[in-house]
Amino acid sequence: MNTLTLPRLTLSAEFRTVAQRLLAVIVLCIALSLLSGAFLTVGNLVNVLRQAALIFLLASGLTLVILTAGLDLSIGANVGLSACLAGSVIQASGSPLLGVAVGLASGCMIGLGNGLLVTVLRLPPFIATYGMLWVVHGLTYWFMAGATIHGFPPAFRALGSGYFLSVPIPVYLMFVFLAIGIGFARYTTWGQEIYAIGANPVAARLSGIPVNRRLVLVYTVSGAMAGLASLIFLARLNSAEGDIGEPLTLPAIAAVLIGGTSLFGGVGTVSGTLVGALILTLVLNGMNLLAIDANWQPLVTGVIVILAVSLDVLTHKGGTAGR
Amino acid sequence: MLVVLGAAFASSGSGFLNGANLANIGMQSTILLLLALPMTLIMLTEGIDLSMGAVLTLACVVLAAIAVKTESVTLAVGGAVALGAAFGFANGALVAWLGLPPFVTTLGTLGIASGLALVTTGAQSITGVGDDVGYFYAGRLAGIPVPLLIGAAAYLALHWLLYHTRFGTYVFALGGNREALRLAGVRVNAYLIGVYVLGGAMAGFAALLLTARMSAAHPTAAIGMEFDAIAAVAIGGTSFEKGNGWLFGTVLGVLLVGVLRNGLNLLAVPSSLQVAAIGLLIIAALVIESFKSK
Amino acid sequence: MAAVAQAVGSAAHDSGQAVPLFELRSITKSFPGVRALDAVSLEIRAGEVHVLLGENGAGKSSLMKVLCGAYLADEGEFFYQGQPVAIRSPADARALGIAVIFQEFSLVPYLSVAQNIFLGREPHGSIPGSVDHKLMHARARELLQRLGLEVDTRALVHTLGVAQQQLVEIAKALSQEARILVLDEPTAALSERETERLFSIIRRLQSHGVAMIYISHRLAEVFRLGDRITVLRDGRKVGSLLPAETTPDELVSMMVGRKVDTSYARHYCESPGEVVLEVKGMEADNGVSGIDLVVRAGEIVGLSGLVGSGRTEVARALFGADRVTAGEVRMLSRNREGGPDRAVRSGMALVPEKRKQEGLALIRSVADNVLLASLKRIFPRGWFSPAMGIGVANERIRQLRIATPGPRQMVQFLSGGNQQKVVVAKWLNADAKLFIFDEPTLGIDVGAKEEIFALIDQLVQRGAAVLMISSELSEVVKVCDRAYVMRDKRVVGELARAELSETNLLRLAMHDG
Repeated sequence: MNTLTLPRLTLSAEFRTVAQRLLAVIVLCIALSLLSGAFLTVGNLVNVLRQAALIFLLASGLTLVILTAGLDLSIGANVGLSACLAGSVIQASGSPLLGVAVGLASGCMIGLGNGLLVTVLRLPPFIATYGMLWVVHGLTYWFMAGATIHGFPPAFRALGSGYFLSVPIPVYLMFVFLAIGIGFARYTTWGQEIYAIGANPVAARLSGIPVNRRLVLVYTVSGAMAGLASLIFLARLNSAEGDIGEPLTLPAIAAVLIGGTSLFGGVGTVSGTLVGALILTLVLNGMNLLAIDANWQPLVTGVIVILAVSLDVLTHKGGTAGR
Repeated sequence: MLVVLGAAFASSGSGFLNGANLANIGMQSTILLLLALPMTLIMLTEGIDLSMGAVLTLACVVLAAIAVKTESVTLAVGGAVALGAAFGFANGALVAWLGLPPFVTTLGTLGIASGLALVTTGAQSITGVGDDVGYFYAGRLAGIPVPLLIGAAAYLALHWLLYHTRFGTYVFALGGNREALRLAGVRVNAYLIGVYVLGGAMAGFAALLLTARMSAAHPTAAIGMEFDAIAAVAIGGTSFEKGNGWLFGTVLGVLLVGVLRNGLNLLAVPSSLQVAAIGLLIIAALVIESFKSK
Repeated sequence: MAAVAQAVGSAAHDSGQAVPLFELRSITKSFPGVRALDAVSLEIRAGEVHVLLGENGAGKSSLMKVLCGAYLADEGEFFYQGQPVAIRSPADARALGIAVIFQEFSLVPYLSVAQNIFLGREPHGSIPGSVDHKLMHARARELLQRLGLEVDTRALVHTLGVAQQQLVEIAKALSQEARILVLDEPTAALSERETERLFSIIRRLQSHGVAMIYISHRLAEVFRLGDRITVLRDGRKVGSLLPAETTPDELVSMMVGRKVDTSYARHYCESPGEVVLEVKGMEADNGVSGIDLVVRAGEIVGLSGLVGSGRTEVARALFGADRVTAGEVRMLSRNREGGPDRAVRSGMALVPEKRKQEGLALIRSVADNVLLASLKRIFPRGWFSPAMGIGVANERIRQLRIATPGPRQMVQFLSGGNQQKVVVAKWLNADAKLFIFDEPTLGIDVGAKEEIFALIDQLVQRGAAVLMISSELSEVVKVCDRAYVMRDKRVVGELARAELSETNLLRLAMHDG
């Protein structure tokens, strides 16, 4: 509550949230380096960054959706379908570019679908995206018919496993989209409108903001980012099968929530999501290093989500308007 | 709607109307029914429980483990139900006391439950569950398959609970006008938690049937079944808001889902596409409903 | 019910009663900045219909909230049949047999009538936890019969019309042995036939000794039903009379009165400019119809009427928030269609009544809010510059003298008056030509009210047009060049400057003549 009751500058409040999380990152790093000798190695750190980058890319679009007090549960399935489609196209045509285009297009379409369900049919976001999740999931499994695709041209694989100046390419993408994300959220009118919609959709509408159009936009962006993440995932794994996107939904939501973005809308930052992705990845990495059974990970992620939501409710439930 | 669908499949003539097939649908649907019935109550309170599938899976693991170790069915069932109830309590407490949104909360517990299932089994199935357990799926009592009896009993019990007790009345009120209930002096939180506990406990009990059917417990057995349950409830006419619902509708919904899956199976439609079809069905049901209420 | 009838039956409807059933003495209740009730005393006799009259904000609802235990009185005492009692919570009020039927019912839509009546007090069945449905429905039927309501007790409440739902609420109150029933504008949503039925039920309840406090604006009803009338004004009791001793005009003049004098002086508009807004025969899906208005540049036109007369609905329809179904709306000679975003672009501004829920994003800063309606205008290329935004905000803060530690302060921490200024600033930035103000000084203390009026004056001096919805008659008289009056969702009259007086406004607004 300290960030809200003190009569300080709002900018500072957001800054503080991110700064606090950054502090947590540093603390985690210190703790992990003490707990395991293998933490501070280049290989491990690079791995952490790469993994965080993937989660961040997926979660960045989701951040915008959650900023409008919505939710997108279909991103995991989206990744699955987009990856499978892209993979098949690459194999069939031999052209990585075509595959990239297909993957992104698939992501966008699914996002657009979500957006329309929420605005035109007025379905509550969590139901709309939950239904979409299963539809996409089904389509993916049917399309793949149980098969697995593998083996992609090296040009494509570089997207996920390649390095440039010994830094993994996904990490560059992470910074690029961090910049784009911050730029969009803070330095465009659309971004300002999105914050307004999340803070009070009624007031936003009565102030002349085209709420429906912006909502369709954020869901489409979320889908597009899922498409992008699917490409990187595909490139990294060098294979695709029906369920590859599934374990990504919960970590993405966790990253956004840990980063300080509130489910109630209007509060949060893209940079927060990046830090959130880092925190989550560090925790899971730590578990790996300490040789904890990998099967514990979804469980831990679930606990983290609940903790993050609780914190969100305690901090933000009282101070919203027009809900 | 059920009739139409049934007719459609029957006319496709691929063995749908076979008596054994119909009986099969009934038996398989019972497990879903045990999940969908309490889900109806939860949805009547404007809530939802996404963790049911995962809790069911975990309960299977627990049940199988206990059954194998102690050879006591009672103990095994007791353990499974207790586990389910515990998860239900966790869900209910988070929703009622902390005011967390049910959707995200049960998503979290879903992760926890499925994680636990994977961890405790090391991703291996537990086999060797004895015939004592298997009886509950394959056996017959007075000529009627046990699962159908269990299903009927569950429906009757929940029907009584929902329509003839105070608990049931308050369930409707929790969704329809929670404030009015509070003003009437009723302990809203207690009943809200109770609904989730019921869901968890019944998921625990359903573990008996599922384990019996497979004679083993797979750590990923029932993941996603909550989706079918939610679909059945929604198709059966219970809305997500305002405490509007119909328990028998859920039964029909379960049958519809069962018929759909069965029919599509016979037509050799892959199960994945079936899921897509069910998803579309939910969306259709919701759209119809939102038009009705406009 | 039987016990009540016995205890009070003998004294039913006897105006020569020695000890009143219930008495409130010197009730005072203050909120920050506002004294809602000032030493109000009220006497209620068994079996009487005691009408409570007063303008919006006179203190009627505050008094009722104190009576039913929702508010805690600062000072004053309660007496039940002469004995002092305390009302500190809704439960206390219920125990004393006080029940309030508010305008929003507390019914569960998908439960039956009987279940709603007995919610929380269902009769026990043989098996623990079960409900004895037969008994419950029998008792419910009995209650409904007494009210003369022929509704199947098994019917789900949401299938009933508003009138019937209201009767279910009354039945619910009666089942709790209510001895004092408060009815808040009960006929507002009823047809004539339903109103008659309600009246006969009220008479029946009277004969059982139930006392009723009846809040209404409809003078015809007041004279028909009332045994006694109490008029409140500005939180004080102006008087209690018998209907036989007074006339509608006298009541009106008791309700109207001199409000706090402000030093603000308005320069009335001598020569209004072009027609900014022209409305002919407008109907909207929110219930308003027959709306004809004209607003010219430089004018402040008032829209007066009682609560529920449809003024906010007119504002919403004009702004596109609700759908216009018939008639013509022309803004600056162009047809106005579409939603709020089109309205804003055509130069309209709406300062809503519920400024916190509809006019501001509370968790955003002053600067964010000030820019809310003008992002596209100020930043046409889409690139938002926080620095420039702060600059614009600072300019408005200075211009409107908004009291805030800075442009980055979260709007929820500002006082009501300053929040309102932020909303006005938002529209100034949007270069609006028509400002629709809905209760602009609601919840704002006296000093800030003056500033708001001065602000509105400035707006029209600069050539804008203002349509001002206000329930404070003195405000309308003081500030407006002209005023339209609404009643029952229609525009029923227009008063020019010379005819503008509180009495005239109120008379047109009520069921008079």
